[in-house]
Amino acid sequence: MSTPFTPVLDSLTRQRGVRASLVVSADDGITVDSNLQIGQDGARVAALAASLYRKARKSAQAAGLGSTGFMQMEAESGRLCVIGGDEIVLVVVAERTANVGLIRVEMLRAAEALA
Amino acid sequence: MIKTSVEPWIEGPLRGFVEEAGVSLALLLHPSGQVLAQHGFSRAIDIMSACALAAAIHVSSAELGRQLEGRPFSGLHHAGTERQVFLAEARTRRGAYIFLTVFDEGSSLGLVRMYFDEFCVKLANAAPPPLDTPEPMLTENFERDLNRNLAALFGRA
Repeated sequence: MSTPFTPVLDSLTRQRGVRASLVVSADDGITVDSNLQIGQDGARVAALAASLYRKARKSAQAAGLGSTGFMQMEAESGRLCVIGGDEIVLVVVAERTANVGLIRVEMLRAAEALA
Repeated sequence: MIKTSVEPWIEGPLRGFVEEAGVSLALLLHPSGQVLAQHGFSRAIDIMSACALAAAIHVSSAELGRQLEGRPFSGLHHAGTERQVFLAEARTRRGAYIFLTVFDEGSSLGLVRMYFDEFCVKLANAAPPPLDTPEPMLTENFERDLNRNLAALFGRA
């Protein structure tokens, strides 16, 4: 089933090294739409990534750093990239070797398209 | 001292859920409305009210689900302006229980649903075998059992 978010997610998932992309409700942490590889638990990624991003935004505000833009977390075998606003959060799960610069540009473009 | 649960096997799973999901209130009850475990309540009267309402909402929403979809709804969520309520059923070999939790902006529906799924697995694993001769839930015993459970939770047993 195609949604208004499908072209954005397809474009992100076409990037080299991107394993999954999700559009998540910022407050609820519920998946709105996703493009996942087999075996990935989208609901868990969505809930935890949205929570992480919400807390990062609050931390940045508490530290007087203003609003949060792009958030990246490095893990042992991959990266989690998140960008978002008050209502929607865009989450990308990528391999460690993926070009983060390119993914960041695509995510910024996607965020603009979703705004 | 306020205890978490009437039966010790519930305590670990409930504590884990509360810590992980960051909820402010949690309640596990028998479908009849008898409390089995709680977190965050400080008065017995509030638990009694919450249990009665949760049991009534659960049975009503289950019936609504049956009428609309031919099967009971598996969960219910209500978002207020500041706090949200999540109500769902947790199944064990001892039977089905009703779980009610209240959370604010420190958590989210996604987190609550995710940790509730984990709670159900832990609860099912921790549940002892069913009783050979389960005590019937009789109306005349209801208040006695309710008072016994509340007394156990609030250290008056």
